[in-house]
Amino acid sequence: MRDMNERPVCHRAEDLVTYLYGEASEADALDFRNHLRQCDSCRSEFTVFNQVHESIGTWRNEALGASFNPAAIPAAVAIDATPFIRHERKLSALAALREFFTVSPLWLRGATAFAALLLCVLGVMMVARQSRRPVDVAKADNHEEMYTRKQLEDAVNNARKATEISKQDAPTPIVATQNKPKSDTNRPQFAANQQPKNLRPQRLTRQERNQLAADLRLTPSVDEEELLAFPEQENPNR
Amino acid sequence: MQRVAQNIWTPRPDASRSQVETVTNDEQMVERALSGDPEAFGEIVRRWERRIFALAFGMLGREEDARDATQETFLAAFRNLRGFRGDAKVSSWLHRIAVNQCITRQRRAKVRGETALEDEAEKNAAVFAMPLDASPARTAETVERSQAVRRAVCSLPPDLRQVVVMKEFEELTFQQIADVLEIPLSTVKSRLYTALRQLQMRLQKFGEAEAAAIERR
Repeated sequence: MRDMNERPVCHRAEDLVTYLYGEASEADALDFRNHLRQCDSCRSEFTVFNQVHESIGTWRNEALGASFNPAAIPAAVAIDATPFIRHERKLSALAALREFFTVSPLWLRGATAFAALLLCVLGVMMVARQSRRPVDVAKADNHEEMYTRKQLEDAVNNARKATEISKQDAPTPIVATQNKPKSDTNRPQFAANQQPKNLRPQRLTRQERNQLAADLRLTPSVDEEELLAFPEQENPNR
Repeated sequence: MQRVAQNIWTPRPDASRSQVETVTNDEQMVERALSGDPEAFGEIVRRWERRIFALAFGMLGREEDARDATQETFLAAFRNLRGFRGDAKVSSWLHRIAVNQCITRQRRAKVRGETALEDEAEKNAAVFAMPLDASPARTAETVERSQAVRRAVCSLPPDLRQVVVMKEFEELTFQQIADVLEIPLSTVKSRLYTALRQLQMRLQKFGEAEAAAIERR
């Protein structure tokens, strides 16, 4: 047996391989067959190489299955002339996302993750802001402001409470209304009708009433009474 | 292993098979993929995945590794799609990537010392993949023989192994192998000749060991 590192005995080693795998032209094949009859080393090598070739083929068929036929797969040279069938892959959203993250470079994955995070934060902020904002006021066709049912009910309730409080304790609503800034004119002034007691006209004393009547000349004064009494006393006809 | 592999190669039923598209070669598909067609690269993968898997299997000798290497090959190709030179064929480009992936993978495995345990696992898988009606003696013999061939191929130096695998597993022509590996045609033939001689030596040693074992029984 020859050593592995030994150079080929016959100078036609390459022709042997070409012939073994059936890639020699007809003329070259015929020529090499004639050579095989004469060259013992090439003949013995051809026999053992054939056995190796068959052994590898057996292993390949066991491993990849006998149905595996590389020649049946369209090679690059044959593809130009062969129409291919496109398989429409219907990926689910999750599978597509997974595939995207699998094939994307690291920077793209990072950028996508950052964008998704930013989107989530913005979404949360929007939701929080939306929940804090009061219910939108409905607008009528004539552009007059309209209150919602809830606002109306709240206003009515507030007015009732204010009335009750003013009945129980008079000064409290006065202070509340007096301290209100003038800019609040847009808000409904439901407590405005509640007149404080100390601003109402107080009951007058008898003396004051008499004085007021006198001022209004509803009753004659002392001098007038005397003047009126004189003619009766000094009546010449009497 | 055979059963597993057959499952891999079983064509998946596809309802849209009737949809035939116009003729497009690999290079045009790459152009379409670069211009943003999401299906174009998928079509390249579907065209070449079986061949690349076969190449990876022959280079690595294990189905699991071959599957990973195939996946990594297409991932690397997708990432470097813009670096694809139009003067080379897509097939050659993919093969080159696959060969490099396999060599890198094997180098890493050697560093980690993953051979002994995996050999045993592969042997067990091969036993389970044998036909159920085969006799135990026949099963054992076939499995041993396949394992011997696998070990013999995997023990070849990478430059010889890739030539053998491309020829035996993919049935590429010498010229195609020369194009893929970017080496002269005569180099391909001489490497294949050397590889066959080394394989024959290793298998002969295995045959002698097997005969000695039978004599001992």
